[in-house]
Amino acid sequence: MESNIKENGDVLKIGKYTFKSRLLIGTGKYPDFQTMKDSADASGAEIITVAVRRIDFNAKENLLSYIDLDKYILLPNTAGCYTAEDAVNTLRLARELDVFRTDLVKLEVIGDPKTLYPDNEELLKAAKILVKEGFTVMPYMMDDPVLAKKLEDAGCPVVMPLASPIGSGLGIRNPYNIKIIKETVSVPVIVDAGVGTASDACKTMELGVDGILINTAIAGAVNPVNMAAAMKNAVEAGRLAYLSGRIPMKLYAQASTQMEGIVF
Amino acid sequence: MKIELNGNEYTAGNGITVQNLIDELKLNIKSTAVAVNKTIVPKSSYAVFTLNENDKIDMVTIAPGG
Repeated sequence: MESNIKENGDVLKIGKYTFKSRLLIGTGKYPDFQTMKDSADASGAEIITVAVRRIDFNAKENLLSYIDLDKYILLPNTAGCYTAEDAVNTLRLARELDVFRTDLVKLEVIGDPKTLYPDNEELLKAAKILVKEGFTVMPYMMDDPVLAKKLEDAGCPVVMPLASPIGSGLGIRNPYNIKIIKETVSVPVIVDAGVGTASDACKTMELGVDGILINTAIAGAVNPVNMAAAMKNAVEAGRLAYLSGRIPMKLYAQASTQMEGIVF
Repeated sequence: MKIELNGNEYTAGNGITVQNLIDELKLNIKSTAVAVNKTIVPKSSYAVFTLNENDKIDMVTIAPGG
């Protein structure tokens, strides 16, 4: 299956970057760093998200020692930022770290602590500033086609609408909006947040989106490493099914076996 | 002199630079970024950026996140 996809040149393009994997994963909430590392390996992801936080001088180990920087592209996020200013400054600070091989950044500007829904105005404002400063901005956004267009026009080479609230595992709550976003913008669409299990990931990819970013559904699973492998397969299966063109749904049966030549 | 380092009081030598502090704390310079009083200090300035009494220093690195 994988070899067919590769032969067809089906790759994910974000700005000037090209990826074979359509699954991006987060590094948060794992029981331990080793499980995070093993899950990342099992997921086949090429991009993994990280936060930028104050150094804990008492920590016995650090995340970085579990990440092969030659293998993965680290995507700094702005989790926890509630204003454009804070998000922009976080990424400017991140740029001083010599662990990011690209200028790719995940921009999120939260508007509400209970839903973790993004603040549209602040998000757009931050995106415009960061694009001007040369970042390749990947914005986490509401499943709002109008905003998706505005972010595309602002220079974001990808948009990342949520499927449902971060960490909720509710799956895709408004597949129609995701489809409209896909039709509205010409940049890739990566669904970010809300996927609960492999079938959610598969169904999301079958809508024709270009990728999925998953954290909690893998990190919070009873067996994160196996769930990472399941998500990898689901994303690949969903993508291939989308490219293959599903049959139309019909109300009544249509026999698979011909009647011609039947004896009894 | 007293400075604030990542939210905690820290006693540093007078006239210490950002680079001195990084060395003192045995930090990996590649995976460390620094802001002094919320202003980002570029790596190229670490050796010449002198800290003052009561400065608020933030030293960051990557952490788990989604």
